[in-house]
This record gives sequence, structure tokens and C-alpha cells, in this order.
Amino acid sequence: MRRLKPPLRVLIVEDEALLAMDMESMVEDSGHEIVAEAASLHDVEALRDEVRPDLAFVDIQLARGTNGLDVCRHIRARWHETFIIFVTANPAKIPDDFCGAHGVIAKPFSRNGLMSAMHYITQGVCDPPPTSPRPASFLAAPAFAESWATT
Amino acid sequence: MNERDDWHLTDDIKHEAGRGDPFAAAVRATRMPMVITDPLQPDNPIVFCNEAFQKLSGYEREEIIGRNCRFLQGPDTDRDAVRRIHAAIAAGEDIAVDLLNYRKDGSTFWNALYLSPVRGEDGAIQFFFASQLDVTERVLRQAAIAEQKAEVEREIERRTADLKAALEAKTLLLHEVDHRVKNNLTMIGSLLRLQARTIGDPEVAGRLEVMLERVDALATVHRRLYQSDDINQFDVGAFVDNLVSDVIGASGRSDIRVEMAVERIPVGSSKASALGLVLNEVLTNAIKHGYPDGRPGRLEVAARGGHGEARISIRDDGPGLDMADPLPGGLGATLIRRLSKQVGADVRWENADPGTRVVISFPVES
Repeated sequence: MRRLKPPLRVLIVEDEALLAMDMESMVEDSGHEIVAEAASLHDVEALRDEVRPDLAFVDIQLARGTNGLDVCRHIRARWHETFIIFVTANPAKIPDDFCGAHGVIAKPFSRNGLMSAMHYITQGVCDPPPTSPRPASFLAAPAFAESWATT
Repeated sequence: MNERDDWHLTDDIKHEAGRGDPFAAAVRATRMPMVITDPLQPDNPIVFCNEAFQKLSGYEREEIIGRNCRFLQGPDTDRDAVRRIHAAIAAGEDIAVDLLNYRKDGSTFWNALYLSPVRGEDGAIQFFFASQLDVTERVLRQAAIAEQKAEVEREIERRTADLKAALEAKTLLLHEVDHRVKNNLTMIGSLLRLQARTIGDPEVAGRLEVMLERVDALATVHRRLYQSDDINQFDVGAFVDNLVSDVIGASGRSDIRVEMAVERIPVGSSKASALGLVLNEVLTNAIKHGYPDGRPGRLEVAARGGHGEARISIRDDGPGLDMADPLPGGLGATLIRRLSKQVGADVRWENADPGTRVVISFPVES
């Protein structure tokens, strides 16, 4: 797995504008950069290839009847090095293999919850394994967590 | 007369000696239709019928004598009942059965038939004696009652299905409302957070953060409400479980180990928001004071119902509070005081050494 250097280039896929703004502000406060935001699968498909995000936060229920699992597949097919984190009120609905995504943040999240998850994810992506304790707000996908054990 | 000699009376009839016999006279004159058949003759023909039987069947005596009883049957006579009669005759047993019979004019009547063998001194069957009774009214009345009962049952079933559908629609609607309320509360949280970001003063930002936690707790209440099967009840136990996960998750503190033992505690939905806010104040307060500056520790949460009282205890293993004045200051204290009073709850702080235990108790229906 490639090592990235902060600031990470972050894509936000969320159909609720306020929540998207909220997440964007917290991602920026964590020292990263928002490269794009999308409200549906169609928005993600319409992004230019050069957007190539390092990290994508993906809501499960999206606008125009689309969903985050399809967005996850699309991102993996198009930018296969992007780390994908689901953000959802129903973490139980995520399949066991996470559809190849790397983790999940449960909604509702607080500023503390998202910031500490962001910090932990940054360590997991840029300098694995993460050294700070895993925040309760974040759950790594089994495959992603295993990749740290072998580094 | 000795009852054991009763058969002599019917025996006498064989000899047509009954004209002056008071018992034979009674059989002739009674209002109960009766016939006697002779199984020793081919096809077991009727050898005697009384006047009441002629009246009931509409046939003259000459049309009756010498015929098998089946001439009373018609297209709607129950074949199974007829088979049972044949079986009883073959076995030499008596039988009582309700049978649909036909009069001479084609009209029908329900016949409560009682048929019994008459045996001679040697025990061999000599005659069959049959009494009939027109029970058409009784049978029709029973059928009418059964039909009415079935109709009422069908109606009840229809109404029950309607009510069930109405309740399901209402539940769905309320769940949708709670879902939307929860989403709106989440949006209010985002708005407050976006605003907090622009506030330079850490104390003001901190207060806004506490306000956010309260909004989040209310969002958790509504999440529980739309996930509940019973719209009138709110499970405080499951809520406590959710709230603790949410608050610990929101704090980003993975160094606080939670031990949770919660039971189902149903309370009226109208108490949900107030109880939710009280629990939120107590819990966030325990986390703030029990585990300051990243101090790791253990949080014990227990919720029990039963015996008419619910008891929720939250225990931290932190430095402990000044028991003389355990209540958190400011709006938090006021919220706990006023809202617990509103729902009839009692909140007590105890020295758990180490740490503090807060016990919230309130009456519930057991």
C-alpha cells in the first residue's frame, strides 16, 4: 500500500448540504484539503479524473436514489488507490467485506468524534499502524486493519 | 308394572291384540309420530304407523304400510346420516339422528329420528320401533344462529384487520415523523457546529459544544422512537445503551472502558425527551469530571426495571466529587432538577470510592 503525506486530498460524498459543510470544515480544521464534494453517484461520475482523491468520506443514502455502496465501487474502479470511509447512521447495513472500503464512521458524529477519527485515519493512511488509541467513532474494515499488522 | 316386562307390550302388538290394550291405544293416539318396521320381511317394511306420523308425513296409511322408511328421504337428505342409520340397523343398535325428510307434497322437515330394535324373549330382533319429531324450527333456528355468529365473526375479523392496518399506518407515520425530527436535530447540530467554528472565545465555544451534546441526545431519543415497535412506549434501557455509545463515540475517547448492563425499561413516550436530557447531563458530566485530561478509566452503566421502580446508575472511577455540592453548575444543574421533577425521577449522587455513582430512579408500571 502506498504511503501518503498530509495534507490529504479529501472527497466528501453527502447529500445533506449542512452535514457536508460541517464535515468539510472539520476536515479542513484537521489540516487536510477538500478537493470535491458530491451529493449522488452521478455527481461522483461527473468529477474529472484529475480530482483523484486520497480519501473519500461516503454517505450510504445519497441523492437521486443512488447509494454509497455503488459510489464505493465506482471510486475503486476509477481511482483504485483512494481510501474510502463510509459515514452512516446504519453501520449494521454495511456488508462484512465493506465492499472494499476501509472503514466506517457512525452518524451522528460530534466534532470530537470526527476529529479524532480523522486523526486516527491519517495515521492509518500516512504512517501505519496508527499509534493513538482507536476512537469509538471509527471502525476500520477488517482487511484495512490487517494491512497494518503486516507493515 | 315391572320394567323388565315392558317388551311384552310391544310384543303384543305383533299379535294385533292391542286394540283394547291401553298402551297400544296410547301409541295410536299420542301426538308423537311413531312407526314400527319388520326386519324379518324383505326390505324391512313399515308394519304400523300412528296418526301423528300420517299427519307429519302427509301420506295416508295405505301409502305407508309395506314401504321402507327411505320413501321419506329426498335429494337433500344427508347421505352420511342415512348410512349411520343403516349401520345401526345392521348392528341391532339404537340411534338418534336429525334427518331432512320430505312430505308427500314435496315440502321438507327436519326429523329428530329415534330408532331402536325390539327384541324377543330369545334376544333376536323382532321389530324396529321409530319415533319422529318435527324439529325444523329448532334446526333452522340453530342454523340461523350459527350463520349470525359466523357473520359477526367475519365482521370482527374485518374490523380487526382494518384497525390493525390503521395502527400500522399510524406507526409508520409516527416513525417517519421521528425520523425527520432526528434528521432535523442532526442538522441543527451541524448548524451549531458551523457557528461554533467561527467563535474565537474557547469558553463560549465550549458552551455551544455542550448545547450540541443536548441536541445530539434529543436526536438519539428520536432515533430510538422510530426504531421502536410500540409507538406509545420508549425503552429507557435501550436508550441508555445508545446514548452511552453515542456520547463516548462523540468524545473520541477510546480509553474509557464501558461496562453496560441494561434491561428493557418501558416508559410512556411522552417522558422520553425529558428523561433523555437528564441522562445526557448526568452522563456527559460523569465523563467530563471522571476522566479529565485524557485520564483513562472504567465507566459502569446499569439500568434495571421491575418492582415498580426503574433504577439507572452511572458510575465513574474518577477522582470523586465534592458530595456537599455534587450537582454540576449552570444550566446543566437546572436541567437535571427541573426535568427529573417533571417526570417524577429522583437523582442522587453517591460516593462510590473510587469515583462517583449517580443513581436516577423513577416509578414505572411493573
